[in-house]
Amino acid sequence: MRHLLRQPLLWFVVIGILLFGADSFFSVDRSEIYVTVAMQERLGTLWQTQTGQVASAAELDSLVNNWVREEVLYQEALRLGLDQEDSIIRRRLVQKLGFIAESDPTTAPETATLQAYFQSNIEAYTLPLRYSFRQLYFQSIDDAQRALQQIGEGADASRLGETSMLNAAYAYRSGLDLNASFGAGFADRLSGLDPGEWQGPVRSGFGQHLVLLTAIHPAEIAPFASVQTRVALDYQQAQRENARAQYTDKLLDQYTITVEPR
Amino acid sequence: MPTLIRLFPLLLILAACSDDTPSQQLAAEPAPDAVTATAPATNPEFNAQRNAYFGDLHVHTMYSFDAFIFGTTASPDDAYEFAKGGSITHPAGFEMKLDVPLDFYAVTDHAFYLGMLREMADPATEISRHEVAEGIATLGDAADRGTKFRRILAFLRSGRAGEISDPEIMKTAWDDIVAAANRHNDPGNFTAFIAYEYTSSTDESGNLHRNVIFRDDIAPALPFSRLDSQNPEGLWQWMDDNRAAGIESLSIPHNSNGSNGSMFMLTDWSGRPLDSAYASQRMRNEPLVEITQVKGTSDTHPALSPNDEWADFEIMPFRVATRLPSKVEGSYVREAYLNGLKMQAEQGFNPYQFGVIGSSDTHNATSAGDEDDYWSKVGLMDADGIRRGSVPLPQPRANGELYADTYYNTWGASGLAGVWAEENTRAAIYDAFRRKETFGTSGPRMKVRFFAGHDLPQLDDSDMLANAYAGGVAMGSDLIGDASQQPSFIAWVAKDPNGPPLQRVQIIKGWVEAGEAMEQVFDVACSDGGVVDPVSNRCPDNGARVNLEDCSISADLGASELKASWQDPNYDAAQHAFYYVRAIANPTCRWSTWDAIRAGVAPRADLAATIQERVWSSPIWISPSQ
Repeated sequence: MRHLLRQPLLWFVVIGILLFGADSFFSVDRSEIYVTVAMQERLGTLWQTQTGQVASAAELDSLVNNWVREEVLYQEALRLGLDQEDSIIRRRLVQKLGFIAESDPTTAPETATLQAYFQSNIEAYTLPLRYSFRQLYFQSIDDAQRALQQIGEGADASRLGETSMLNAAYAYRSGLDLNASFGAGFADRLSGLDPGEWQGPVRSGFGQHLVLLTAIHPAEIAPFASVQTRVALDYQQAQRENARAQYTDKLLDQYTITVEPR
Repeated sequence: MPTLIRLFPLLLILAACSDDTPSQQLAAEPAPDAVTATAPATNPEFNAQRNAYFGDLHVHTMYSFDAFIFGTTASPDDAYEFAKGGSITHPAGFEMKLDVPLDFYAVTDHAFYLGMLREMADPATEISRHEVAEGIATLGDAADRGTKFRRILAFLRSGRAGEISDPEIMKTAWDDIVAAANRHNDPGNFTAFIAYEYTSSTDESGNLHRNVIFRDDIAPALPFSRLDSQNPEGLWQWMDDNRAAGIESLSIPHNSNGSNGSMFMLTDWSGRPLDSAYASQRMRNEPLVEITQVKGTSDTHPALSPNDEWADFEIMPFRVATRLPSKVEGSYVREAYLNGLKMQAEQGFNPYQFGVIGSSDTHNATSAGDEDDYWSKVGLMDADGIRRGSVPLPQPRANGELYADTYYNTWGASGLAGVWAEENTRAAIYDAFRRKETFGTSGPRMKVRFFAGHDLPQLDDSDMLANAYAGGVAMGSDLIGDASQQPSFIAWVAKDPNGPPLQRVQIIKGWVEAGEAMEQVFDVACSDGGVVDPVSNRCPDNGARVNLEDCSISADLGASELKASWQDPNYDAAQHAFYYVRAIANPTCRWSTWDAIRAGVAPRADLAATIQERVWSSPIWISPSQ
């Protein structure tokens, strides 16, 4: 018996039972609300943003007090499960968790990673058919035809044409760009021309043009260096989407899901 | 359920960490010229003389309380896809798509009740059980939607508005708006701004709405709304505070026409005369004004500018969202310029030295469409000619009226924002807003260049633009007068390659003479070989007409480009003055005429059958020489 009384484990158990009994007799189970200095500072900053004034010590005490009173209500609402049936809270929480799941990595992706992503998504970095050309603008078709004739007789094309807001030369412009700059149908009309000599008149939304097509660039894959910035943005976006999908998949693994038959 | 409870502390901690910092969902922008510097660019390269870019800075999606009621389900994501060339199905079932994509776009949903109508329509939410949410889950025809829209508006104005405002709901929507803008912003190709609408009004329904546009990829945790303050000075203070914290934004008032005289007042919110502190705070935050949109044009009014034959253009005479008449004085841009100039001359400050843009205010997530493909802007409410009052009702109304009882017939297919910027990036376009090197159009992609200076080049100078920038100032700027020489101006306008030809270019002057603000319209370039009459300052009629049977226009009349080098015949170096360009296109059918022709009926007699599309530049202000 004396041997038994010297066992620390026994004393631990006995005292534990006594304390537990006393605690449940004298008090209720209290949850803790611990207001960190960081949280108090945050309340102070919010106050300053809203009022433009630095919170005084008294104001800060009052802010903390209000926050605590709100927090106990919030905890009670959670305890009662009021969050469970509310689709606003559900949507908000899902959105927040989504942002966490897809939060950006702190290090920039390696160039090799981007190159691999570029290769496996090559269609997104394929440039459409484009045109490079010089153009001369004329209000009237007669003037355009006369100028074409003069060029044929050896006149210097750069001295012909009327001034306009259009450029004298365009490089690597897609059909969409040209229809925006010259009016619908202009790209189609260019596609019928042969490179290398002044031709026209070609009609646009502004008037008539003589066009020297310098090159037709077939659809091609953009050089990696020219699109690296875009690749990086696309890669990060894909990473975010992947992270979110994977995170959801992992969570799904923890559930058995039964959809009640209709 | 136990899993969810265990997850909660983690969520709360993470939520606490993420809420006090501005939303920052995308990595910083890359160096702006990284993409465009290399050879096979697909878009206009960096241009020191600046390219014209077109956009819409006023777009509502499903998150706006009213757009939701009008049947709009398009999200901010859908809106940006649309601007890049995608399509959106109108609530009435037809496709909306741009012929030419836009260069920049800003989703500007109403801050108050942001995203809340969607939640009211969900019977599983607490808010759906509030009295004001009654019937939101079962929106019916246009009349039913109109009733519920007015009920929400009345509640908003009742003094109980804050009762249902739920920051959690608004935060969810706002985070999605911010993320969508950051995701769609594509430096060099397409600019998406984080933005929202501050939707305030006076107690007499005078419209004080403004769009707030953020420069970067960061934004405050929540937008500042009319529930924070109805006083726009409160908004500016909030913007100043944000700026001090590194979040740069500007605010663009719109529908001054429906402000009942309260947009451009001569007193502040509390009724005190304006002072230099007010002027500098307003100009620091509001360098631009939206001069035109679907709900009318706010350049000037025939009552204010009786000698301007083009003043009666798309006038929307009501206070916004009411049938109450809107007071003219204090509601129009040109008068504000004049009043500002007078304050400058007499008191040394000018609260109204702003530039202009146009935008649509669409509530369909799309722009407004064109005259011949008009979508108007309030979903199911104005989806077709009958509902917008351009086509007679199947049966006349009880009082014998043939057309629907609506004010949508005073709306129009306008407008667009234009900027001159070196390249298509947030930074370059935002800088153009700040410089006020901006212009507004009534819809077509018309371009206008405008310079003033004492050393401007000749129009045929082979390096005209570079020399104009070097020898003068561009639109939106100030020029200090010189007693020894007159300034000259260059106004240069190009038509939309897919739009109507130009008829004339005008310079509109305002000045202060013997304490009185004066204005005058000068034609400076005429199409079809016309010469400005030196007495009337008008071009001859170029004879352009519209065939109202089929909307065809006079062939071979009008110009693709017009430009002029001009000097003010009445220039006085001792006066304060401003000058801005307005260019007028040949007449074309108004949307209401297109509606009528397609319905096989006569155009409505009390509506303008044709309009003359136009572009307005920001002004150049010239101050006296000393």
